[in-house]
Amino acid sequence: MAGYKRIRVPRNTWNMWLWGWFLVAPTMLGLLILNIIPIFQTLYLSLFKSGAFGRGNQYVGIGNYERLIADAQVWHAVANTLLYTVLVVPLSVALAMIIAVLLNGKVKGTSIFRTIYFIPMIAAPAAVTMVWRWLYNPQFGLINYVLTQLGLDPVRWTTDPQVGLISISLIGIWSIFGYNMVLLLASLQEIPRDFYEASDIDGASKMQQFFIVTVPLVTPTLFFVFVTTIIQSMQVFDVIYMMIDVTNPAYERTVSLVYLFYNNSFRYMDKGYGSAIVVLLLVLIMIITYFQLKAEKKWVNYM
Amino acid sequence: MKNRMLRSTLVMMLSLAVMTACTTNGGNQPENGQNDPPQPPQPTETNTNTGEVGDEVTLRYAVWDANQANGLRVMADEFEAANAGIKIDIEVVGWSDYWTMLEAGATGGSLPDVFWMHSNEIYRYASNGMLMNLNTYIESSDQVDLSKFPQGIVDIYNFQGNQYGVPKDFDTIGLWYNKTLFDEAGVGYPDESWTWDDLYDAAKALTKDGVYGILAPLHNQEGYYNFVYQNGGTIITDDKQSGYDDPKTIEALEYYVRFVREGLSPEVYGDAERAEAIQNGLAAMGFFGSWNLSGFTANNFMAEHFDVAVLPKQERQASIYNGLAHAIAHNTEHPEEAWTFTEYLGSKEGQERHAELGIAISAYEGAADLWVSSNDTFNVKAFVDMVAYGVIRPYSNTTIVWEDRAYESLRAAFTGDVDVEEAASNAASAMNQILAEE
Repeated sequence: MAGYKRIRVPRNTWNMWLWGWFLVAPTMLGLLILNIIPIFQTLYLSLFKSGAFGRGNQYVGIGNYERLIADAQVWHAVANTLLYTVLVVPLSVALAMIIAVLLNGKVKGTSIFRTIYFIPMIAAPAAVTMVWRWLYNPQFGLINYVLTQLGLDPVRWTTDPQVGLISISLIGIWSIFGYNMVLLLASLQEIPRDFYEASDIDGASKMQQFFIVTVPLVTPTLFFVFVTTIIQSMQVFDVIYMMIDVTNPAYERTVSLVYLFYNNSFRYMDKGYGSAIVVLLLVLIMIITYFQLKAEKKWVNYM
Repeated sequence: MKNRMLRSTLVMMLSLAVMTACTTNGGNQPENGQNDPPQPPQPTETNTNTGEVGDEVTLRYAVWDANQANGLRVMADEFEAANAGIKIDIEVVGWSDYWTMLEAGATGGSLPDVFWMHSNEIYRYASNGMLMNLNTYIESSDQVDLSKFPQGIVDIYNFQGNQYGVPKDFDTIGLWYNKTLFDEAGVGYPDESWTWDDLYDAAKALTKDGVYGILAPLHNQEGYYNFVYQNGGTIITDDKQSGYDDPKTIEALEYYVRFVREGLSPEVYGDAERAEAIQNGLAAMGFFGSWNLSGFTANNFMAEHFDVAVLPKQERQASIYNGLAHAIAHNTEHPEEAWTFTEYLGSKEGQERHAELGIAISAYEGAADLWVSSNDTFNVKAFVDMVAYGVIRPYSNTTIVWEDRAYESLRAAFTGDVDVEEAASNAASAMNQILAEE
């Protein structure tokens, strides 16, 4: 007890503290209940062989993880998930950047274009996928109709193992780039006119301006866009779930980690194994994000 | 400063984003990890008439087929009129969500009072004590007589001598054919004398002008299962071994896969694509279960051009059949009322009404004839005729898991990457591995 000095906190400070806690409480509670507790529950659950209806779980230690390492399907899913990310992220960010720069110029009806590009983000993924399924339909779909009109061979967009993941990536790119574009556009508009005027006087061409002025100044937003898009892509599920059944020949080449987690947890009722799969996903995302934060210092400019 | 803000935002986003994937999981696991063994069926309280006479009891009745909901509502209204004080609240949830809903309800203790049960799931629910044991109710009932139902369906819902469901209906698989195309090609309509050779020849004769002769999708119940049993093969043996390595099964699969490999059938995989293909005239013949009837009757193209016949035979005649049952939650607050409703649904009167309204083929002896006369668009009598030689849809405790494993192996045979024999033997070993863990 010795050496312990009670500090009297003034009433005003107390009040401020209380208000502070009160104001962040809703978010804190939400995070705690919806995110932080489930993280630990998932980790805990991954050590069990699930009994039916949440009862009779048997502790199996790292049994689920041993099974996971030996399960070829899991590694296919890892490969598919990474490949999907590699397909979607660079293309969607590049596309977002190009369109953002174009819209940042003096184009008529900027706000209309902005809205059009943003719409895919608002539409429900399930509805979007239904429309794409019609487009991709091998017999009656619009895309194959156009291909045959042009004298080309129809493509089995959703059932050909070589093509399935590309079809899904197209939907992914189409859905996400509008959102990224709006973020980048906001960042572009923050760049002071002075820089462009100064470089104009120095005789820089439009191309030089883009690489020397524009790109470095949007890198913080670009970085943010990269990180969030990668995380989102790693969690791809709804499009694949709605388009590819287990009977589909392209299943093995398109199944993602989250889809596999869903099937094991909710279809085969093996929540323990499903949890182990999702922990693997968490580890993968953490590794990737760690390297991104490392690389951040190399290429991101903060003003 | 800005840097640090961005970093912390990122960390937040990361944890948020990752965990949305898990929240659905953690949410309904209140007591995970407690190593308690499956609890025995809890005795239901018998003192339900707690003097609350006059109070209205509302029963939750969960079903998965929206097509049947209208007819069931009519029955529920009639039941309410005859039984003052009981209201029926029908909840319709689509097939796959239905089981997620029921699972969550069972885990969280909020099952519907009365609900449909299926052969795929009965074991899990019965063995974990989620359903009410109906033995005493059935014994003392003068309306429900299990001997009036097909024995195969009654047995599905019997677990260790206890009856957990009263049969509702049954379904069989029919051969749907396009009359117009048959007439044009001068091919006789299919009937009970048809053999595999007749089917094959017809498929060949009908394949022309961009139309396929037959639709032979990678589908078990509405596809190759029927042929396996027609050929004297099996999917699962009595001692719970896979039948995929049975030579008769392999022979049937070879026959079935040939339709796709020879271009007599389109390569169709999804459920939606299958129905789409037949409803758009892409194929002249197809296999579809009796539950498609109301959808096909409502479809102008199908109603105009199509009719249905019994399946062809090889070594013997066979059609996969299955039946649903009504089950009651183990912890329902109104066991007496729930039984009264279930009893009505399983009584001669209720089953005949069920058939008359064309809801589904009533399982009760003789009631199916009423169902036949409820539809004059198609020759639906074929579905009822097939019960005589019907084979119950193969099932065990982990049906869904080994069915998916079998699909995963057989896919390669349909695409032609692997020959049928190898695919079947892969399916057998994958299935046996699952069965061994049961």
